[in-house]
Amino acid sequence: MVVVLTVICACSALVLAYANKDTKAPREYQLLKYVEAPSIKAVLTNYDNDPIKDRVVLKIGKDKKGRPLNKNIFLAKKGGAIVGLAYDAAGMGHEGPIDVMVGVDTKGTVTGISIMTNSETPGLGSRVAEPAFTKQFKGMTLSDNLTLSAKGGKIDAVSGATVSSKGVVKAVRKALEMFPKVKKEVG
Amino acid sequence: MSLTKEFTKGLWNEIPPFRLVLGICAALAVTTSAKNGIGMGLATTAVLVFSNLLISMLRKFIPRNVRIAAFIVVIASFVVLAELYMQAYFYPLYKALGIFVPLIVVNCIILGRAEAFASKNPVLPSLVDGLGIGIGYTISLFVLGGIREIIGHGTLFGMSVMWSSFQPFGIMLKPPGAFLCLGLVLALMNFISSKQKGH
Repeated sequence: MVVVLTVICACSALVLAYANKDTKAPREYQLLKYVEAPSIKAVLTNYDNDPIKDRVVLKIGKDKKGRPLNKNIFLAKKGGAIVGLAYDAAGMGHEGPIDVMVGVDTKGTVTGISIMTNSETPGLGSRVAEPAFTKQFKGMTLSDNLTLSAKGGKIDAVSGATVSSKGVVKAVRKALEMFPKVKKEVG
Repeated sequence: MSLTKEFTKGLWNEIPPFRLVLGICAALAVTTSAKNGIGMGLATTAVLVFSNLLISMLRKFIPRNVRIAAFIVVIASFVVLAELYMQAYFYPLYKALGIFVPLIVVNCIILGRAEAFASKNPVLPSLVDGLGIGIGYTISLFVLGGIREIIGHGTLFGMSVMWSSFQPFGIMLKPPGAFLCLGLVLALMNFISSKQKGH
């Protein structure tokens, strides 16, 4: 009785472990395609490839437990040549990290940003995801005055949501600071 | 009993969930469109056919006392397989069906067929039984989903099928609509059957 049940469970575990491994890559691809793709497509311009397929994984350091931290870099190509990159960066908002997908061209100019996940107050901080705010980042570089207008910068904060706006600016700055390293890696 | 009879019983005489009133939960919850109905039906069919097949093969080895536990392990494994492969290759459908994909494991039709049929019959009839019941279930979910989509949204498979001034009955897409629809189809089927018997 016990033996039969044990054997059945063991076989089942074996099959499932195999299936898990077998479907891992396509499942990741689907998740990227349906969850991140809308953001990626929104921040890249003027390309003719599938940035989800043409992605490279970059090791960007280690987490607290010493495991490598990976980052997906999505490449936009036109006629085979890279015309832009998209990758995400996070900045601390009012309620938690705000994850921003940032698109940059080969010179490090922002082609667009899109807020992927945020837990900001609905109707207030969450309005940083609206195009009225995000479109201000288009055409920015790190040498521009990439801070809120209250501090003399070029970005107008969403009124009543300074902390959330600051979080987004921080995320974009972080992404742009990463750019030289990313560019070197993807060549 | 002939194989044809085993197959066709799932299509009318024992068609779930109308005749074999099992698997109601999923049938009511996911049939908001014809496409979701068919997707759910096919996923259930796949699990049903493979679990019937395996349970029938193992029927002489599984001790009576632990048979339910053994059946559940087999069924659960196939459900997880279905879930993984759906996620990998049919992501939008997987998203649309949501929690009801893992819940196939508690679909009474599958355990019911394992207990009532596959554990007592040879491999081939069990396979045919699973296929018949599964296809019957798929047809039923398609009918329910189709009716609800047409009346509740004015479309079938996303294409407009009603006249332009048609006002959709939104209630048909909500849970009460599922009960209304199931009840009406059940009544219709009983009416046809009673006519056939000549009452």
